[in-house]
Amino acid sequence: MAVEERKLRRLTIKAYHMDTVVMGDRNDITSGGKMTVCKDIIPELLKDAKHIKDIDIQVIQPGDHDRWTNTIMDIIPISAKVLGDLGEGITHTVTGVYVMLTGVDVNGKQCHEFGSSEGVLKDQLVLNRAGTPGDNDVIISFDVTLAAGMGQERPGPTEAHLLCDKFINIFRDKLRSFNGNQCTEKHVYNDVVRPGGKRVLIIKQVAGQGAMYDTHMFPKDPSSSIGTKSIIDMGNMPVIITPNEYRDGIIRSMN
Amino acid sequence: MGIGPSTKETTLHHFRDPLLEVVSEDTDLDLLGILLVGSPDGNNDKLFVGTRAAVIAESMRADGVIVSCDGWGNSHVDYTNTVEQIGKRGIPVTGITFNGTVAQFVVVNDYLDAIIDINKSADGTETDVVGENNMTRLDCLKAKALLKLKMQKKEKENR
Repeated sequence: MAVEERKLRRLTIKAYHMDTVVMGDRNDITSGGKMTVCKDIIPELLKDAKHIKDIDIQVIQPGDHDRWTNTIMDIIPISAKVLGDLGEGITHTVTGVYVMLTGVDVNGKQCHEFGSSEGVLKDQLVLNRAGTPGDNDVIISFDVTLAAGMGQERPGPTEAHLLCDKFINIFRDKLRSFNGNQCTEKHVYNDVVRPGGKRVLIIKQVAGQGAMYDTHMFPKDPSSSIGTKSIIDMGNMPVIITPNEYRDGIIRSMN
Repeated sequence: MGIGPSTKETTLHHFRDPLLEVVSEDTDLDLLGILLVGSPDGNNDKLFVGTRAAVIAESMRADGVIVSCDGWGNSHVDYTNTVEQIGKRGIPVTGITFNGTVAQFVVVNDYLDAIIDINKSADGTETDVVGENNMTRLDCLKAKALLKLKMQKKEKENR
């Protein structure tokens, strides 16, 4: 059925592709496609931590997956809000590299409850899915060591995500000020009404059981866990979001 | 880690969810929005929040609903109820979840006739491999096509 669209609001996502991601003497990212990652930030991240005892940061090059990984808690894109609130305005994101959060406690107990994914990375991660890196993507490994037993208590994983975001924020703040004309990809999305079209609702059931089974929403920056609301704290009640809010990273998967 | 790792939807998954892509690009459809509902621990809460989700779908005058699910096992208690509550309200409904061999529905009802199984593992199990049993674009296209058929059927019945 041909129907005339009515546009409600527009979201522009500009992507900057990273060609080179290496360990270096500082944490930096350039619109020219170079990113350096440095461990010197770790003591600063740990300074106020209550449940995280240690952090390791590594750069994993494409194909270099024949290596040990602790259980994978999340894979996070690096994006920053430039203009407007989530779901409209302008967002900058990075392609070619994603952050992988992994966790274990000081006694070697993996941060999980119903099945964990620790092992050799190439055997524990299927690439090229919507939620996983591609064959040619670099992974920044952010591996936390939790206090004993804290991998199974809600404040442990929550703090792990938060420290990971404090690290990502270094790059978000630089990414935010990139020249919009230098992006490698530009996508424009509209929330639209299609009068006369079949009215379809997507319902997504997400984790809200507790501890590391949590879903956060409504950050300021896309895909961040900072300043978010937990679906557990909202009683797991249904919450409606717009298509543009969803594609602008309004959800942080804490499970 | 999700219930379990192979079905877990990462933050990156939510950022570029194929289900949103597939539904929003179809110009026959007027996408009303995305309704997120948590999966609580207790059974009573599971039935409660899913039923509220169905009430919202009805209140929005949805012609059709696609329900996806992160996780399986006890997560299917609420999932199957939510699908049933939508179906009972006369709204065509399809779904996407992991069943395989280990995750056949622990509870069944009359409205589970159009659920796409996103299992990708050889033996239908929870492999603990991240991303393995995730929905792909093809799974989403199937769920959407089935929904369009169901909506068409209902329209004919109503004539």
